[in-house]
Amino acid sequence: MVELNGTLLAQIVNFLLLVVILAKFAYKPLMQGLADRQQKIADAIDTAERDRREAEQLKLEYKQHLVEARAKAQAIVETAEKLAEENKEEILKSARAESAHILQKAQEEVMRERELALAQLRSEVVAMSMAAATKIVKEKMDTELNASIVSDFIEKLDEQKIGGMPC
Amino acid sequence: MEHGHEIGSHPLAHFAGLTFNMDTLIMTWITMAIVIVLAIAATRRIELRPRGWQNFLEMAVVYLLEQVETNMGPKGQKLAPLIITLFLFLVVGNELGLVPGFTSPTNDINTTLGLALMIVAIVHVLGIKNKGFTRYIKHFFEPYIPFVVINIIEEVAKPITLSFRLFGNILAGEILLLVLGMLVPYFVPTLWLAFSVFVGIVQAFIFTMLSISYLSNSMQDGH
Repeated sequence: MVELNGTLLAQIVNFLLLVVILAKFAYKPLMQGLADRQQKIADAIDTAERDRREAEQLKLEYKQHLVEARAKAQAIVETAEKLAEENKEEILKSARAESAHILQKAQEEVMRERELALAQLRSEVVAMSMAAATKIVKEKMDTELNASIVSDFIEKLDEQKIGGMPC
Repeated sequence: MEHGHEIGSHPLAHFAGLTFNMDTLIMTWITMAIVIVLAIAATRRIELRPRGWQNFLEMAVVYLLEQVETNMGPKGQKLAPLIITLFLFLVVGNELGLVPGFTSPTNDINTTLGLALMIVAIVHVLGIKNKGFTRYIKHFFEPYIPFVVINIIEEVAKPITLSFRLFGNILAGEILLLVLGMLVPYFVPTLWLAFSVFVGIVQAFIFTMLSISYLSNSMQDGH
């Protein structure tokens, strides 16, 4: 049952033959494939690591940008507020000046009107009193004197350009 | 069940003054053919994402490569094809006997002893090559001169234990499968068959790992 014979040698030869065949046709492509895969995985890991680092860098940059932008925005808002305040002051000042000016002008106008009205009134009062006086003294004056007075009066009227009054 | 009575006895062929067990040789060739077809099919197109059979084969091969690397170092890389072939051959050979109508090439002591002697021969050749002849001879007499007896027994025991373990497991498995088939058909033999699949893989693994271990001893430069 257990008997050693030439089979032993044949099996060694068979096995070595198998080793040679497999080494040639299967082992080499297998090792090549494994090496390729290892390379690819290593590359992928490297790339991933690089990408991750880049992403971190970008994130940091963006954060910084954001902070800067925020600060800038703050500055802009502050400047704008200051400018607006200044503008407001200026506008108010000029408005106040304008209003004061307008008021003054209006007051002057009113004064002038009043003066004018007073002057007119005075001249009219003079004319009327003259006319009244003329009527009163008409009876007692001779024609000559009368004529001179009248002409005087008329001349004065002309001078003063006060018309519209019946003589 | 004629087949059952044939186990252990072989049809013989005579050639060039030597006797050959023809059934063992034929089963060996079938095993070789299966191993070659599987290996080439699995490695013909190595994909980056392994699938199916390639995945399984790769798992085994990568594991063996790791073992070779950790045990034998970079010098052992040259032996990696031998180790991988050994494992594939033994697995396929062991499982072949479980297919009805086939027997394992490893149920013949000629196969297992042949492989074991080959491994031991490589161990000694590498030992002489790595350590130099004088140091190689010297290491049999270490740590003290009387240890030469124990050392030589150990060296002789290596191929014998290696080959008989595999041979006994596989032959016993096949015999028991047939005996159980005759005594309690169907259910129990099926259980044993399933267990034999496991035993076949484990025995192939043990044989391969022990070979790696023996070979790694001779790869070391120390002692």
